[in-house]
Amino acid sequence: MNKKEVFYKLLKDNEFVFWDGAMGTMLQAKGMEMGGIPEMLNFDKPDWIEEIHYAYVNAGSQIVCANTFGCNRYKMAKTGKSVAEIISAAVGIAKKACGDKALVALDMGPIGQLLEPTGSLTFEEAYDIFKEQVVAAVQAGADIIACETMTDLYELKAAVLAAKENSDLPIITTMTFEQTNRTFTGCSVSAMALTMEGLGVDAIGVNCSLGPKELEPVVAEFSKWTTLPLAVKPNAGLPDPITNKYDLTPEDFADSMANLVKYGVKVAGGCCGTNPDFIRAVVNRLKDMKYSQQKPKLEAAVCSPAKTVIIDQPRIIGERINPTGKKRFKEALKSEDIGYILGQAIEQINAGADILDVNVGLPDIDEKEMMVKVVKALQSVTDLPLQLDSTRPDVLEAALMVYNGKPIVNSVNGEKASMEAILPLVKKYGAAVVGLALDEGGIPKTAEGRFEIAEKILANAEKVGIPKRDVFIDCLTLTASAEQAAVMETVKALHRVKTELGLKTVLGVSNISFGLPNRELVNCNFLQMALTNGLDLPIINPNAALMTGAVRAYKLLANIDENSTEFIAAYSGSNFTASVSSTGAAAAPKSDSNDLPSAIANGLKDEGARITEELLKTKDGMEIVDDLLIPALDKAGAEFESGKIFLPQLIMAASVAQAAFEVLKRHMAQSGGESVSKGKVVLATVKGDIHDIGKNIVKVLLENYGFEVIDLGKDVPPENVLEAAVKHGVKLVGLSALMTTTLGSMEETVKLLHDNNVPCKIVVGGAVLTPEYAEKIGADFYAKDAKETVDIAKKIYS
Amino acid sequence: MIELTKINRAEAFRYMGLRGEPPENISVLADECESRLVSAANPKFHWIYADIGDISEDTVTLSGHKLVLRGRDISAHLDGCFGTVLLCATLGDGVDKLLRTVQAEDMAKALTADALASAAVEQVCDIAEKEIGERFAGKFTTWRFSPGYGDFPLECQGDFLAAVNAMRIVGVCVTDGGLLTPTKSVTAVIGISEKPVPQKRRGCGTCKIREKCDFRKNGGHCYE
Repeated sequence: MNKKEVFYKLLKDNEFVFWDGAMGTMLQAKGMEMGGIPEMLNFDKPDWIEEIHYAYVNAGSQIVCANTFGCNRYKMAKTGKSVAEIISAAVGIAKKACGDKALVALDMGPIGQLLEPTGSLTFEEAYDIFKEQVVAAVQAGADIIACETMTDLYELKAAVLAAKENSDLPIITTMTFEQTNRTFTGCSVSAMALTMEGLGVDAIGVNCSLGPKELEPVVAEFSKWTTLPLAVKPNAGLPDPITNKYDLTPEDFADSMANLVKYGVKVAGGCCGTNPDFIRAVVNRLKDMKYSQQKPKLEAAVCSPAKTVIIDQPRIIGERINPTGKKRFKEALKSEDIGYILGQAIEQINAGADILDVNVGLPDIDEKEMMVKVVKALQSVTDLPLQLDSTRPDVLEAALMVYNGKPIVNSVNGEKASMEAILPLVKKYGAAVVGLALDEGGIPKTAEGRFEIAEKILANAEKVGIPKRDVFIDCLTLTASAEQAAVMETVKALHRVKTELGLKTVLGVSNISFGLPNRELVNCNFLQMALTNGLDLPIINPNAALMTGAVRAYKLLANIDENSTEFIAAYSGSNFTASVSSTGAAAAPKSDSNDLPSAIANGLKDEGARITEELLKTKDGMEIVDDLLIPALDKAGAEFESGKIFLPQLIMAASVAQAAFEVLKRHMAQSGGESVSKGKVVLATVKGDIHDIGKNIVKVLLENYGFEVIDLGKDVPPENVLEAAVKHGVKLVGLSALMTTTLGSMEETVKLLHDNNVPCKIVVGGAVLTPEYAEKIGADFYAKDAKETVDIAKKIYS
Repeated sequence: MIELTKINRAEAFRYMGLRGEPPENISVLADECESRLVSAANPKFHWIYADIGDISEDTVTLSGHKLVLRGRDISAHLDGCFGTVLLCATLGDGVDKLLRTVQAEDMAKALTADALASAAVEQVCDIAEKEIGERFAGKFTTWRFSPGYGDFPLECQGDFLAAVNAMRIVGVCVTDGGLLTPTKSVTAVIGISEKPVPQKRRGCGTCKIREKCDFRKNGGHCYE
């Protein structure tokens, strides 16, 4: 019997399985100092550890966590012991204490540093840290892997992937939830359940956080989202800050635990403040109760940590993050202008998208690397779930790996090779998948043919273990102008897939009108036909107000949008104008003035863009930049320096110029005209520093003076700055550091650039920096603010 | 649960370098940022109490704790105190996400949101300080002294957070560079004394940027 079978037998043979209680607070009671490293006691006081394990086994615990909660290379760095040594010792002690009475779990807690994007630890590093623990646990002979006290779904995903790819041990995952049903980082119960069940863990639930009484809403929520065994390990109530004592008695604790049984609790234990008396009380209290298995009807759903989108009604997939047919987007991909791509995302979110499709396929770039970068950037600013879109399985796998939550894969099709390559990835990472109704024979002409391919894709998906609810079928839109007769075949196929196979359907809509005049009218009507016939996931441009409006109107008329709440919220008052003006060219002019300098002085962003469009009819781009934009910005800069206006106003002026530049760039990309770039500048917040608002302000100002900024982001290693400076041949590198602790890496970066004789000047800035320090570390310039950085850049590129 | 429904805008505007009434367009931005910030924030604090063990010119030990407070400034701060409260407060990771999002939207908005968030985390500390004052009614407390002030090193943040169990209880961590994450978080030491403590003003004397501070140049300071 392998370890998974042993674990499942344990679950099957017992109404409940009892876990152990706290280790840390038990050790404190024995005399460990506050803030001490519990894992070192595996060496210093092995008898303490063994006594605690033994007491839990005697109290009735059937799973015991080895004393390894913080045993990762980051937290153990200063102990002088390797992770493998500590885990081997800890598992050894636990096995000795448990004998054949209880299973031993590798206890894996959070690493102790926040992951990207808020922290500086990358997902890949986190995976590697957990992998080391898993490998050591397998060698030491652990029976289970327990990932506990997690608050970040991303970190938990790294831990689970590390556990699955490096062992065949059963995995229990529990996160720390507040009464709001969310963790500190905003991860919801539903997102955890969807993601973890998808990744194939063996039990899920909640630990730590609060007492068993306060956790009732959390446990109740779990019962709606999963069919997995539920594990619950609450604290002994809440601690007093002065005495550090918890407020529940073992009997109170056990009573509240008994109350949670009705939600399907299978594995029961305790966390901070509990001791063997608590476990004994729970064992006694539950001994005459029955496990109450929950059988929720699980809907199709996808999620990010903070947002779960249930596909129980039409949901809009935004199609704009895709270079096909978009010169400006291609340009952005080539110059790695992530800011532009994020702008596309934000526009779609504000326009009403529910899910964003992400496609960055372009022949001249490394699609895989770009996909990872864009997925990470998108999930750092939006809660919308993503649809990962590529024709290449390796790109999809890389994206699935770093996606935080449960995404959609776009797409698989009915070809044998496609199903063999894509479906196992979808299963492994627990995603939903779009199945295109085409195969080796191409796109069938008839609805019947497409329906059959849908059936085939479903059968193959189920064969690898993908639940039926996670298969969405795209019956494929053909262009009406070329294949008019095919339109109704698509609609019919969609209807049959929806009603006969019971699958969710997805459809790219805009293609229908290719080559026809008044495309939006055609798109809109086709969308209505598809929705009426059962379309769940229209892939559209949400910025097209009529299209998004058509979906909203359908939901209203189909009695999905109860009391027309969503519809009224979208279209009452000023919101309507907002959604219309976001289509850009269709916006009604707010004034007749073509006074760009005045728009800049007054911070009127939309006006700035509109006027620039107008001006381009009579002037060329460079003329607008040199005669209007730059002088207006110079005026704002001078006013800022003299204290007449303040930084926020200077930035507002700059933002108008940014909007104008965006219009100019788009125009240049289309006309292939000369670039408006005044020169390239590399900007970075140095290694170790994660505060990058200052650097971003500098970036906006530089860009609005026409400089092209290669923004390396925050926490940037010196080597990356060197590489970028050389690759782009820049004349100026700007470095920012906010804290005293990170000035050292600024110095290192400057030194590395000098040592490699890079022919560029270096400007540095940041809160704690002084001109003297800048000089000391060998920087060429110190800039006290963003404006001064622009002055320096102008001087260098003059 | 801490309710944070209104943010101290006057304080935020001061952080932004504005003097007097904010211009209308900034005020409009602040309205939007304040409401988004209030819904994104998950304000929390946690504090523990420890007896002071030994206190020398530049070292303070705490009974039963591994954490040692180092530096002449923290020693001076706790002079005459019998105990200390270690406080950690945060607005939560949702605010970091909001700050990233608004940076992708509009930098003027981002600057406004950032300043409002800085003011908000101070408000959370004020709420904590009020609770601490109530728990130590009859005793006297010092003002909040944070790692990074004067010669009280940022490098102690890791041990500080471990002592407060901050990762587990309020979700605050530290990077290798000694920076707190979520970024709108604060750690602080408050001394507890039997006798009134000389309430040294939150002075510029221990501040690292005193030589280049715009507030000081204009004859003011960054605190109220």
